[in-house]
Amino acid sequence: MFINWALQEINLKIVYYGPGLSGKTTNLNYIYQKLDPSVRSDLITLKTKEDRTIFFDFLQLEIGKIKNKRPKFSLYTIPGQSYYSESRRIILNGVDGLVFVVDSQINRMPNNLQILKELEENLIESGRTLQTFPWVIQYNKRDLSEIESIENLQRKLNYFNAPHFEAVARAGQGVFVTLKAVINHVITHIQSKLV
Amino acid sequence: MESSKGGNGQPIILSGEMYRSVTELLSELLLKTKARVIIFGDMDGHAITQKGNTTGLNVNTLAALAAGHYAATAEMAKIVGETNRFKFIFHEGEEMNMYSCNVGNSFLLLIVFDISIALGMIRIFTNRTIQSLEKFLESQQQMDDKASEFLDIEFSTLLNKELDKTFNNL
Repeated sequence: MFINWALQEINLKIVYYGPGLSGKTTNLNYIYQKLDPSVRSDLITLKTKEDRTIFFDFLQLEIGKIKNKRPKFSLYTIPGQSYYSESRRIILNGVDGLVFVVDSQINRMPNNLQILKELEENLIESGRTLQTFPWVIQYNKRDLSEIESIENLQRKLNYFNAPHFEAVARAGQGVFVTLKAVINHVITHIQSKLV
Repeated sequence: MESSKGGNGQPIILSGEMYRSVTELLSELLLKTKARVIIFGDMDGHAITQKGNTTGLNVNTLAALAAGHYAATAEMAKIVGETNRFKFIFHEGEEMNMYSCNVGNSFLLLIVFDISIALGMIRIFTNRTIQSLEKFLESQQQMDDKASEFLDIEFSTLLNKELDKTFNNL
């Protein structure tokens, strides 16, 4: 979080985390496509030639003035492939809130579990934990046939009872609900720390 | 909240006085170096202030990319056995060059300049500016009470309404 008192700006960093091909970039792409250009930046995607995220995607939102203050949200994705673990750690620098994007397909459960474990390890390394950190889970790809039930996903992945949402990101379903939830969660979390 | 000087989970809060001081130092640096643009941002990728000709330049995105690049380079330094981070990053172009370096642990400076300007001159003046910036930033006062003033309950209620309006039917 960065507050510029002179300009009355607050900048918050939200990272979309999850295994490769779970739909992190798809979320950002949908947000970019749907929002009016006056409230969002260009979408920057750092990709390999195979169209996979190599470092991060970046999109900034500036949602009007609230009590003469200007909240800005920097949205990042991480590269999900296992060998980019160092990049993921770097992108978590200064993160204020997280969306963990789950691939609901049954055969992807090991990948979801592995990267969730890595996320928790990364947070612990910097003195934080998912137990108290503001994060939400998005169960994506709910339109596919071979998918885990929500009950199973909740039991296996959501052991800290984070707010969770079902989504079909490529169709936009659940994308903005998730975004709004993580923003509210971050603000509430910061307020609770300030009391 | 322990500090107002950044790091994971800790907010960076720049007072009005600090902001003016930083902006003045950037103006001086711009004048001395004749750079095209100078951006002061934090290591988390937020652009804080900039000076120079920013026409057609997406400053926020540039700051985010610079911070990511800087963090990646710091990791590369570790891997090759450099005990401290690299002192600066330099990109040489056909028309423009870019120079970036850290200001303390939480901030960075990015300078875009014409290739006709000598790198040595950029380095000398930038190093002097960084020393002054670090002195100012170290003297930053505790601003925790300001943060709670910024993010009161009314703010979150109004933000919620604004989000509903912006995301309506999307």
